[in-house]
Amino acid sequence: MVYKPVTSAGEVESDYIVPGNSFKEFLFPQTEPVASFTIGSEVSGGGVELRDVKIDPPETVIFGSRPCDAASVASLRSVFTWDFVDEFYTKREDRATVITVTCTRGDESCFCTEVGLSPESPDGSDVLLRETDKGDYIVETLTDKGRAFVEKHKSVFEAKSEGKPKKLFEPDKLEVDLEKVGEWLKDKENYESPLWAELARKCIGCGACTFSCPTCHCFDITDEGVYSEGERRKNWDACQFDHFTLHASGHNPRDTQYKRWRNRFMCKFNFYPEKFSSKGCVGCGRCIRVCPVRLDITEVMEAISKA
Amino acid sequence: MTKGATATSNIYLPHLVTIEDVRDEAPDIRTFRLVFKDEAHREAFDFKAGQFALYSAFGLGESTFCVASSPTRKGYVECTFRRTGRVTGALAELSVGDTMGFRGPYGNWFPIDEWKGKNLVFVAGGIALPPVRSVIWNCLDRRADFGDITIVYGAKTVEDLVYKHELAEWDAMADVNLVQTVDPGGETDDWKGEVGFVPTVLEEAAPKPENTIAVMCGPPIMIKFSLQSLEKLGFSPDNVYTTLENKMKCGVGKCGRCNVGDIYICKEGPVYTATEVKKMYNDF
Repeated sequence: MVYKPVTSAGEVESDYIVPGNSFKEFLFPQTEPVASFTIGSEVSGGGVELRDVKIDPPETVIFGSRPCDAASVASLRSVFTWDFVDEFYTKREDRATVITVTCTRGDESCFCTEVGLSPESPDGSDVLLRETDKGDYIVETLTDKGRAFVEKHKSVFEAKSEGKPKKLFEPDKLEVDLEKVGEWLKDKENYESPLWAELARKCIGCGACTFSCPTCHCFDITDEGVYSEGERRKNWDACQFDHFTLHASGHNPRDTQYKRWRNRFMCKFNFYPEKFSSKGCVGCGRCIRVCPVRLDITEVMEAISKA
Repeated sequence: MTKGATATSNIYLPHLVTIEDVRDEAPDIRTFRLVFKDEAHREAFDFKAGQFALYSAFGLGESTFCVASSPTRKGYVECTFRRTGRVTGALAELSVGDTMGFRGPYGNWFPIDEWKGKNLVFVAGGIALPPVRSVIWNCLDRRADFGDITIVYGAKTVEDLVYKHELAEWDAMADVNLVQTVDPGGETDDWKGEVGFVPTVLEEAAPKPENTIAVMCGPPIMIKFSLQSLEKLGFSPDNVYTTLENKMKCGVGKCGRCNVGDIYICKEGPVYTATEVKKMYNDF
């Protein structure tokens, strides 16, 4: 099950836990041009013609988001608006309406409650839908954007629900003390703790966790094209890859995989909350589900809680 | 201290610049003098010593270097780079009259105005002289504002010293004390400078720490040892500045690459005092 563009209601599914992908790819695409250029003799003066890319995204509805994914929007926004505003992101987000369905199903990878969210968190949603035992939804509008959307599509939303809300999913209770994790990470002595190498020893640096993560935002900027014509593009990248911090000199501050994994964990549970006052992790559990070596972020959270 | 968003709404769009002059500094190290094609931007452009920029070889991408010229020299910017990879390899193929891209200036800067009346010590190693050179010329162009000026600069070999013509110029200045050194084995028969690693030579030169600011840049290992040497000489870490030229791609705090712990070098740096460096995670 994935978030993808649909053209008819028949394509919309309702029986899923969380989609395999997060919907960040519709706000922050895996690849997108930020400029284009022509090089060579056809350009006056034999130089370079550089063209801007004006971003004009369509109105988008994210239907069937889960509360964890909706909460990730604030995290992405905090990075993309930190001093310099990345309009490639903000314009898409401004024109997106997030309609979330609360979670009546989940699995052992779900841990939203451990990061301060819940299967019915309203954070980041414009409209919140609760499934009922009669198979319809109870509608709650949360923002002006959500109210405007419901108003515009009154005919769809006006039928009165007769059912009762279905019981919500309850994620397993873990032995995680997020405050303790935050404090432990803040103590610079622990940066060199042998715990890191031990906990992250399995990591093979494939980057699947970062690409599936709704809050991971790292990217590369590369030129693509033929000799005389091309585009400059933003492409997703991952701090888990060994080249990510490799200097031209050959020096690499994060030269082994456990240091890269440590950075990702620090980013989620220290840098984000400290720097942006937003969540670096929303507990969607995708990184656990996709990891080919079963490196479980919650096991690290638990280990640090007990450290 | 970061300079805000540029006039364009697309924060990744560079300005076009023409290469006005090319100078070979050392094997595979080259300096470009760049002039903005857009006249209005050329007039309006301003930066401060210590800031960096992204330089494009269109078709190959962008690379990050500091602005190597001084803000007191108006009308152009200079960058000095070593040919090491794809982008710098392509830049090295360009010549006078060619077009490339410039995006910046970004990051914070050396607080030169706060140093009025103080002595200055500059310490640099190899290709790390360019950011320091911007400060040196900035201070030399307002020489009366400062006391004694000492420059300690070293490279692996005599051939690897950059800005050789400017080293000669500084050496000839009566009010500048220039100490040049090369690593043991890197000297030539006619070498008149020191032989030894920068931190050691710096300790031997023993600049006085009283009322003195030290500005230092080098490879990470040199930064670590030179900070220790300056401390041994009695410099307060608050009076020692360095610039951390980490790997950067976006330059504007988005791509997530240059962080040292919770600090994004491109936005909160690249210029830091030794006090600030000491507080950082061991990640650079």
